[in-house]
Amino acid sequence: MSEKIYALLLRLYPSRFRAEYGEEALQLFRDRARDERGFFPTLRLWLDLLADLAISVPSEYFHAQPAFIVSPVRQHLDGTPSFFLLENESPRLGALLFGSVLSLLAIATVSVLNGHGASYRPLGASVAQSHPNAARSSAFGRLAPQRAADSEQEILASQQPTTAANALIEGDAEPGSSQSSFLLMLRRFGLVKPHALQPRPHSVARAMVESVTLDSAERHRVIDGAIANLKQHYVDPDVARKTADALLAHEKSGDDETATNRPALAYLLTRQIRDVSHDMHLEVVYSQAALPEHPRESTPEDLARYRKAMEQQHCVFEKAEVLPHNIGYLKLNFFPDASVCQSAATAAMASLNRVDAIIFDLRDNMGGFPSMVTLIAGYLFDHPEYMYSPREAPTLQSWTSSPVPGNRLADKPVYVLTSARTISGAEEFCYDLKMLKRATLVGETTRGSAHAGVFHRIDDHFGMGIPEVRPINPYAKTDWEGTGVDPDVKVKAADALETAVKLAQSKLRKK
Amino acid sequence: MPKQKLHPLPSAAFQILLSLAGEDLHGYGIMRQVADQTNGRIRLGPGTLYSSIQTLLEEKFIEEVDQREDAKLGNERRRYYRLTLAGRKLARSEAERLADLLRVARTKKILRGDYV
Repeated sequence: MSEKIYALLLRLYPSRFRAEYGEEALQLFRDRARDERGFFPTLRLWLDLLADLAISVPSEYFHAQPAFIVSPVRQHLDGTPSFFLLENESPRLGALLFGSVLSLLAIATVSVLNGHGASYRPLGASVAQSHPNAARSSAFGRLAPQRAADSEQEILASQQPTTAANALIEGDAEPGSSQSSFLLMLRRFGLVKPHALQPRPHSVARAMVESVTLDSAERHRVIDGAIANLKQHYVDPDVARKTADALLAHEKSGDDETATNRPALAYLLTRQIRDVSHDMHLEVVYSQAALPEHPRESTPEDLARYRKAMEQQHCVFEKAEVLPHNIGYLKLNFFPDASVCQSAATAAMASLNRVDAIIFDLRDNMGGFPSMVTLIAGYLFDHPEYMYSPREAPTLQSWTSSPVPGNRLADKPVYVLTSARTISGAEEFCYDLKMLKRATLVGETTRGSAHAGVFHRIDDHFGMGIPEVRPINPYAKTDWEGTGVDPDVKVKAADALETAVKLAQSKLRKK
Repeated sequence: MPKQKLHPLPSAAFQILLSLAGEDLHGYGIMRQVADQTNGRIRLGPGTLYSSIQTLLEEKFIEEVDQREDAKLGNERRRYYRLTLAGRKLARSEAERLADLLRVARTKKILRGDYV
């Protein structure tokens, strides 16, 4: 009976959808009706179905497009007009009406623009007119709308955040020779590197409008803010002073005027700061979304929510399994907080305790907490080892609690799979194990972001990452910031597992 | 007119891509997997499910593998779907976008103390 009712309701969908998926939808209904018996489950099923109908029926009609059937004469030449026929359907009355209104609007717009062409001035220009740099700003104003359209197309085509940043800068740069040198400079210094706080493709158009309004007063305010923050927070006061002087000198000599939009200014200042301080962890960042003045402290409820989310996802211990030849495989996409996920980590490592070699797959790892890095590394040593993290001064927790009772992995071969996406805390795991010669890294050079600075707000849109401590790096002067961790065996990330398995097998055979 | 239905990626489509990351599934299998992975928060109805599947198929983010029976669910033949390489890439880029959001959350101290 209820199936019949649902079959009737299905008739609300467009015929094409019914023809293609009607039977499947009924089948799904039967499956659910069979599995969800009893009063409340049935009630929930029907509520679900009604809600689903209310949402999906209108959207099906809204998106429904008659299928094209292949044009009778195939025309493959570019630029040759070709015709497609609509399958079995003539345009609906509504569509015809909508089409006519749209055409009238288009004609009206073109004729109005033709009539007022000479006096037309885009918004950016009129805002900038009152400004001392009026001549230049208005030039950008006229330039911006057309370039914005170009850039957006580029972005739609590629969907790369790097391209987004490129296009953004390109869209606002001055025309002519200074543009190319400006761009070259940005590229050379890796300034078009994607960053969390850079605007995303979909917001580029808005960023365009916003970023052309960067004026010398704002530039001055940001530079002042950067200097104040450096002096107040940076770990080395001498270097902070030198860097501040350099920033002032650059501002005085007019170097900063090449940065005509906010992201470019953030990049430029970062470069100037790193040139003097030689500290890759210092950076100025631009955030399109306004940064709150007084960041909310996290509450016990936040922590409880985080804990619950982590537990629900088994603390993101994605996969722990034993591969053929008794090789253990642990895929970790995040290093969750050890205080929340210790038991999940212990369970995962215990399940791999009897393997002869172990592979950590960090190819999709987004980073995480140093505490978990140390906890897992602890299984790989028979004595406490120092896990260097550029973010924290050494504490007792920086040493692994090796040997772990009952653990048999301390002397087994270890392989770590890396990719160009492996980042942050995951790079700490790679870096420390590589430096301690405890693991063979297989894959690609990692992303190269230590996130070692503490974030400080300058104004609504600018902030800085400033290292407030400087733990001594026991291995080298620099860590992986900006360079990444190089693998021991360089292969494409996609081939890393296969390579690591082969390496492990041949090593185990030799034993 | 190009379809822009997957831009931005709707939550239902993303969940479907994720559900197919592990194994090929039929429609009801996808629905159950999505319910599992969201702790019952999202139960895709037939209309939403199949219209998302239709769009994902058209854009070649998933593909139909074959029709076969699911031994646990009687002898009806069912269409099975598989994630394509493009679909996997799309899911990954969406996940990366979410990871970036997480990073912003950290700078605003909503989530504290992690690298992300």
